[in-house]
Amino acid sequence: MNPLYLEVLVVLLGIVLLMAEAFDGASAKRGIVYAGIAGLLGILGATFFIDPAAMNAAAPYARFYSADALAIFLKQFALLSTIVVLVMSLEYAPTVEANMPSERRGAGLGEFYVLPVFACAGLMWMASAVDFVMIFVSLELVTITFYILVSYLRRSEASLESGTKYLVLGALSTGFLVYGITWIYGVTGQFNLAAIAEKLPALDQAAAPALLFGFGLILIALGFKIAAAPFQFWVPDVYQGAPTPVTAFLSVASKAAGFIVLLRVVQTFLVVPALQEKILPLLAVIAGATMIFGNLAALPQSNLKRLLAYSSIGHAGYLLLGIVSIGAPFAGTAVLFYLAAYLLMTLLAFLVMTIVGRATGGDDISDFNGLNQRSPHLAFALLLAMLSLAGIPLTAGFLGKLFIFECAIDQQHWVLVIIGVITVAAGFYYYLKVIRAMYWQQPADPDAPEIEIGPLAKITIALLCALIIWIGVYPAPLLSLLP
Amino acid sequence: MPTLGDYLLVSGLLFSIGLAGVLLRRNLLIIFMGLELMLNAANLSLVAFARHGVTAFGLPDYNAQVLVFFIITVAAAEVAVGLAIIVALYRLRQTTHVEDLNRMKF
Repeated sequence: MNPLYLEVLVVLLGIVLLMAEAFDGASAKRGIVYAGIAGLLGILGATFFIDPAAMNAAAPYARFYSADALAIFLKQFALLSTIVVLVMSLEYAPTVEANMPSERRGAGLGEFYVLPVFACAGLMWMASAVDFVMIFVSLELVTITFYILVSYLRRSEASLESGTKYLVLGALSTGFLVYGITWIYGVTGQFNLAAIAEKLPALDQAAAPALLFGFGLILIALGFKIAAAPFQFWVPDVYQGAPTPVTAFLSVASKAAGFIVLLRVVQTFLVVPALQEKILPLLAVIAGATMIFGNLAALPQSNLKRLLAYSSIGHAGYLLLGIVSIGAPFAGTAVLFYLAAYLLMTLLAFLVMTIVGRATGGDDISDFNGLNQRSPHLAFALLLAMLSLAGIPLTAGFLGKLFIFECAIDQQHWVLVIIGVITVAAGFYYYLKVIRAMYWQQPADPDAPEIEIGPLAKITIALLCALIIWIGVYPAPLLSLLP
Repeated sequence: MPTLGDYLLVSGLLFSIGLAGVLLRRNLLIIFMGLELMLNAANLSLVAFARHGVTAFGLPDYNAQVLVFFIITVAAAEVAVGLAIIVALYRLRQTTHVEDLNRMKF
């Protein structure tokens, strides 16, 4: 199958769902979600039968669009996280309905279910983008969709406030990105990454400052997207205020796509040794600062969503450490493995949080007090997610960190490895705080009934738990899948 | 006849004015205008680069000019969504000042 069809199919699915929603009247719109999940699952299956050779390499679009193994992997990643986010949205529907100005049943739900599908198409295009024009347009498709999703709860001050913050800072990073692209174009006369890499070695020294200026601006813009220090300040507020499924989507898919773009852009500029000497130390400083900030700022948090926001900054630091160690032969695989593990454990944590938050009405850590007595299965799932995020052996998160540190040691980034190990230890403290609340604290209302879970959410939680343990114990199948 | 340097200087000024507006002003609408200025600074320098980077046939490089159209389109979409969010915020809070956006704290 020609890889170009994948995104077209996703966009078509989104349009069909929107049309169907218009005729659905005042209902709970569950059919929209089921159709969306089924459609995305079908497309996910189709990604395994992609034939990159079906794409004409000489065709003009091959300058914009690449269907290499990395792109296919990220497309599957985006589809999978969108499916889980749709399952989450189903559990989150009562909160959305309660925060809509309209009293009509199902008001605003249809778009809430369909917008992630469009964002997914944008993420998939981002995965394939090998040209700055394509990177810009697909990135904006994702970002503008997220503006709407983050500020979706129109009656909730927190959601609107975080939406406004995301809007201003997201647009600011767009400004930096575009201006950076302009300068790189001015120096090289090219937008295509491969063509830029060809031109770079022949450039004279006088052009170097302009080139570095452009690269620096692009790095700032991508730093915003992946939440690397010192451009991480928007993350806690936006993650806390956004609807929980959207927070999960932001922290998993949007971040992963940002990393793939960063990987492609950095690789382009690393062909010149003179640039390499300047870029890698810069990235190393950013990686160290991100690990330290994310993990230390998470320590005093009492809101679980905010805590996960800071922890996601910390995880971005470990991923950056993998990119800094790009010279190691195993580094690319290690970064992708970490991303896959991060997807599983973060989505699991947010899925449990959505369900518990609906029952308790809040997402402070104290709302999870005594969860083990009320719903032992949910408590176990969250326990597994927390252990994996912290990096306890026999979970996927542990192997992810192990591979990254291995690459860093291979490249002799000793300082970063020491910072990494210390911050992982700090991570144990705040992840265990959640576990302590669930297992050792008394519930606020001991007679509360067990929390209800939808059938789809049940299956998803079970699958995610199984995958975390399976990959943690026996990673070979996943490793063989990675490019 | 203005040179490439002149255009880049003006575009740099536009970018700085926009950035200063975003960082210093406290009204969301003014901040949004600053953001648009930053995008237009990029447009100006792209067109200048395209005009001065003449290709083998003596024509300007149209790739950059096409990107300008993409930027204009994307900026329009961003403004449509952005203003809608600001209007929704104003309806709920009766304010468009960033100091009032302080509901979330540690």
